[in-house]
Amino acid sequence: MRRFVRDQALSLFFLTTFGLALAAQSIAGNADYNARQIADGGAPVSWPAYVTSSSFAVDVAENWQSEYLQFLLFILVTAWLVQRGSHESKPPGREGPESERDQRMGPYAGPDSPGAVRTGGLRPFLYSNSLGLVMGVIFVLSWLAQSVAGTADYNAGQLARLQDPVSWSDYVVSADFWNRTLQNWQSEFLAVLSMVVLSIYLRQRGSPESKAVGGPHDETET
Amino acid sequence: MNRRDATGRAVAIATATLLLAATAGCSSARDAGVAAVVKRFYDAVSEGRGAAACALLAPRTVAELAAAGDDCAESIVKLRRPGAVRAVQIWGSEAQVRLTGDTVFLHSFPQGWRVRAAGCRARGEEPYLCVVGG
Repeated sequence: MRRFVRDQALSLFFLTTFGLALAAQSIAGNADYNARQIADGGAPVSWPAYVTSSSFAVDVAENWQSEYLQFLLFILVTAWLVQRGSHESKPPGREGPESERDQRMGPYAGPDSPGAVRTGGLRPFLYSNSLGLVMGVIFVLSWLAQSVAGTADYNAGQLARLQDPVSWSDYVVSADFWNRTLQNWQSEFLAVLSMVVLSIYLRQRGSPESKAVGGPHDETET
Repeated sequence: MNRRDATGRAVAIATATLLLAATAGCSSARDAGVAAVVKRFYDAVSEGRGAAACALLAPRTVAELAAAGDDCAESIVKLRRPGAVRAVQIWGSEAQVRLTGDTVFLHSFPQGWRVRAAGCRARGEEPYLCVVGG
């Protein structure tokens, strides 16, 4: 058990912090939602009613989609673009999908390589892109969930202001949808830019997200 | 648009429709309840039972009438009875009932749906102009 916890500590830490942050968000969000309800002359809602509401769903989904987009782009773009000196980049000259030898695929697969890389046809192609594909699917589903929950939440606000509700197709081209979307995207892109550039010059001792403290600034090899 | 794009778009629209139906599906089950409150409200109005009609108003709406110096029971019966219900939309705790010649807005309280605004007329993108509430 102790060994399991130690071996899975990174995942367990983020699973726990995710759960705690989501729970805390639901409590703060419920209080904020109820304050707005009372200000609008409405009635406050219970925590179970809030966490199953479109208001909570859109707030969760808009952040999820942007995080998955961030990692999707980071995974895909770093295959093709490099940043000299960055710990987040491959060395210049290795842009692209790289050779089967570099990727230990096909005849270069080892005995402990995943089975998919030793076969032919579509399977190795899909497995070669499985990380991006899964992150991409989660991004699209989260964005779709944001649009659906956002439509419901926006329409509740419209009715509270004595205005007509809108259809899903009208909502996805609305200012509210794109404001929610882009305010998350810009912060994710800035965070990636910061990691790419700051990892050239700054260090975090012991972290695999950093070069060795004594590593030269122009070293790009990870 | 190629076939794959068209298929993908169709799947996305179908998924969105299903999700929207699931989100709004609960409201369709509540449509009858909202329409029933509006019917009770206008039954009371047209029968001159002002106090009964006022009991179906949201607290803020009653307070606004009082702040304007109106006696709720006396003023509410001046509302003109609209025609049949044409459409009900429920989103979260809010509802809109479109009737022939009128639109009513309601909010869900622990004791049930209450009328936020009635006798409302659309004004384009601006909020509805209402005889009561708003």
